[in-house]
Amino acid sequence: MSKRDIRAVGIAGWGRTLGAAIISLIYFFPVLFIILTAFKTRQDALAWPMKFIFAPTLSNFVSVFFRTSVEGGDAEATGFGLYFFNSVFIGGTSVLLALIIGTAAAYGFSRFPLRGNDTYLFMILTTRMMPPIIAIIPIFVLFRIFGLSGTYVGIIALYTAFNLPFSVWMVKSFFDDLDRDIEDAARMDGSGEWRVFKKICLPQVYAGLAATFVFAVILTWNEFVFALMLTSPETRTVPAQIVRTIGGSMGVDWGLMSALETLFIIPVVLVTFALQNQLLRGVTFGTIRR
Amino acid sequence: MELVIGDVQKRFGAVEALRGVSLTVPSGEFFAILGPSGAGKTTLLRIIAGIEKPDGGRILIGGRDLNDLPVRARDTAMVFQTFALYPHLSTFENLAYPLREAKVPREDIKRRVAEVAEMLRLTHTLARKPSTLSGGEQQRCAIGRALIRRPKLLLLDEPLTNLDAKLRHDTRAEFKRLHRELRTTTIVYATPDQLEALSMGARVGVLRQGRITQVDTPSALYETPDDDFVASLVGDPPINLVPGTLRESGGGRSIDLPFLGLDASPWRGALGGFPAGTKLTVGLRPQAIWPAVAAEAGPRFPARVYLTEPLGDVTILDIVAGGDTRLRMVLPQEQAYRIAVDDAIECAVDPDQICLFAQETGTSIRRTAMGARAEAAA
Repeated sequence: MSKRDIRAVGIAGWGRTLGAAIISLIYFFPVLFIILTAFKTRQDALAWPMKFIFAPTLSNFVSVFFRTSVEGGDAEATGFGLYFFNSVFIGGTSVLLALIIGTAAAYGFSRFPLRGNDTYLFMILTTRMMPPIIAIIPIFVLFRIFGLSGTYVGIIALYTAFNLPFSVWMVKSFFDDLDRDIEDAARMDGSGEWRVFKKICLPQVYAGLAATFVFAVILTWNEFVFALMLTSPETRTVPAQIVRTIGGSMGVDWGLMSALETLFIIPVVLVTFALQNQLLRGVTFGTIRR
Repeated sequence: MELVIGDVQKRFGAVEALRGVSLTVPSGEFFAILGPSGAGKTTLLRIIAGIEKPDGGRILIGGRDLNDLPVRARDTAMVFQTFALYPHLSTFENLAYPLREAKVPREDIKRRVAEVAEMLRLTHTLARKPSTLSGGEQQRCAIGRALIRRPKLLLLDEPLTNLDAKLRHDTRAEFKRLHRELRTTTIVYATPDQLEALSMGARVGVLRQGRITQVDTPSALYETPDDDFVASLVGDPPINLVPGTLRESGGGRSIDLPFLGLDASPWRGALGGFPAGTKLTVGLRPQAIWPAVAAEAGPRFPARVYLTEPLGDVTILDIVAGGDTRLRMVLPQEQAYRIAVDDAIECAVDPDQICLFAQETGTSIRRTAMGARAEAAA
């Protein structure tokens, strides 16, 4: 590194770092606020001006899972263990299903176009052009008729259907970007179509699949309306239960809410970090070559 | 393996990529296909490879119709212009891929990959992914992947286009060497670069707008091109093509150029059918023009130096003659160093190196050979 480079990093670099830090902090502040509140006692949580230095407590996190009712008595399980399991299970299964079906469909659309290929692609996307809430009544009726209300199968099928258009379009764009010569080379090397897909095309879009997976997970993880209306106490997800936790005779328990939300974002953060490298390559596909 | 291509046609929508291409490449020949981009070279190779289906015509490889041969039995390998290495696989796995697909036993795969890597100096790269290889290594890896199956027919689609100039030169020599070592492998090599085609091909087929215009040895292409297109494609710097007119003068016929009159008698056999006034195209190789020495006989003309391009050993001179005709000539450095821009010079032309074409059709008007001259006169 030359002298000039060092100076450039020194001044411009510091400035840039500072700017980035400030902007990140603005974005991150609400999350930080929630995380801090999760560790506060009820008094600290309600204190104004906001306290940054306080004696942390884990009582809110305990309360997430075990709580005494207002009338007193023994602490009872709140069922959040089950709701967290439901969120992971329903979200994970539906996103994986959407990714598998979507990848197969995307490869078909990309490599074996049908007559009217673009029309089909457009039709798939139209289901995402309106707010999902518009479809709630027909879906509710359908679920009633087929007995899907409150079942895992029902909510997983619904989420899979919601995630499919996004998965198809996104994964198709990754397949479209691949160099066709590479597939022809594989055909000349003796690969059949299935092997070309499995051994050549699929491994090249792993990063894209990871990116699609993360985006779909985030969308599904946070879904609230359908979870509220179509799940039963046995299949309820975390967002649908959080809303039932708000309120109560003693007002909003901010510490408890914040502890819930803090726990709630951990899985998404973990998934995102685990796939961080893939994610970056996936979303910059086509703009940065290899 | 002998390759026979019979009247192959291919359209892409409104574009006619190949308009009836016929070729025969004998077993073990290094055959070059020379043509500008868009001439149909890649399409032709892809059809021979079996990746693309022709609309008409047939391909015989070793006497068997391509359509009757499953991909594996074709013994054909191809090196793509983009190399088309598998980006997610290491060099070792790239080389091993064709063998794995052919269900070759594990031990044999190891041995043959090691052999090929050794031959192509890739041993140190075996564990690395293609994106970490240099251009030359990527290209050798692509060649290795093609050779590892020991193909009887090797198709090369502009394999040097993506390399830098120095590497291109080295690799050209290596290809020739490789062909000698493989001996029985037939090679079809497509390139837009006349230097590559002429230096490597035992024979060269010139492809223009989906048609083969001439198939010949490199020296024949250079000396007796079939038309002005081949003439302009072959030779570096490119040939000077000058419009001329056939004239009837007292003693015989001559060809009028803007700056020079040429005796037409060397072509009298072929020119017999053309009336006076016929428009011709005269091809003058840059190597066939030089500054005249006082006592020199033969055609000569005055010119002005427009610009000079010194290349070290030789200098390319752009000259203007007969008003506004630009000509290129090549001089060895020792003759060129005293010539400066805007100098007036006297140039001589070697009449034996002049090519003649009918302007309308572009087809060559052949020189009347010594022996045939009497025949033509009779």
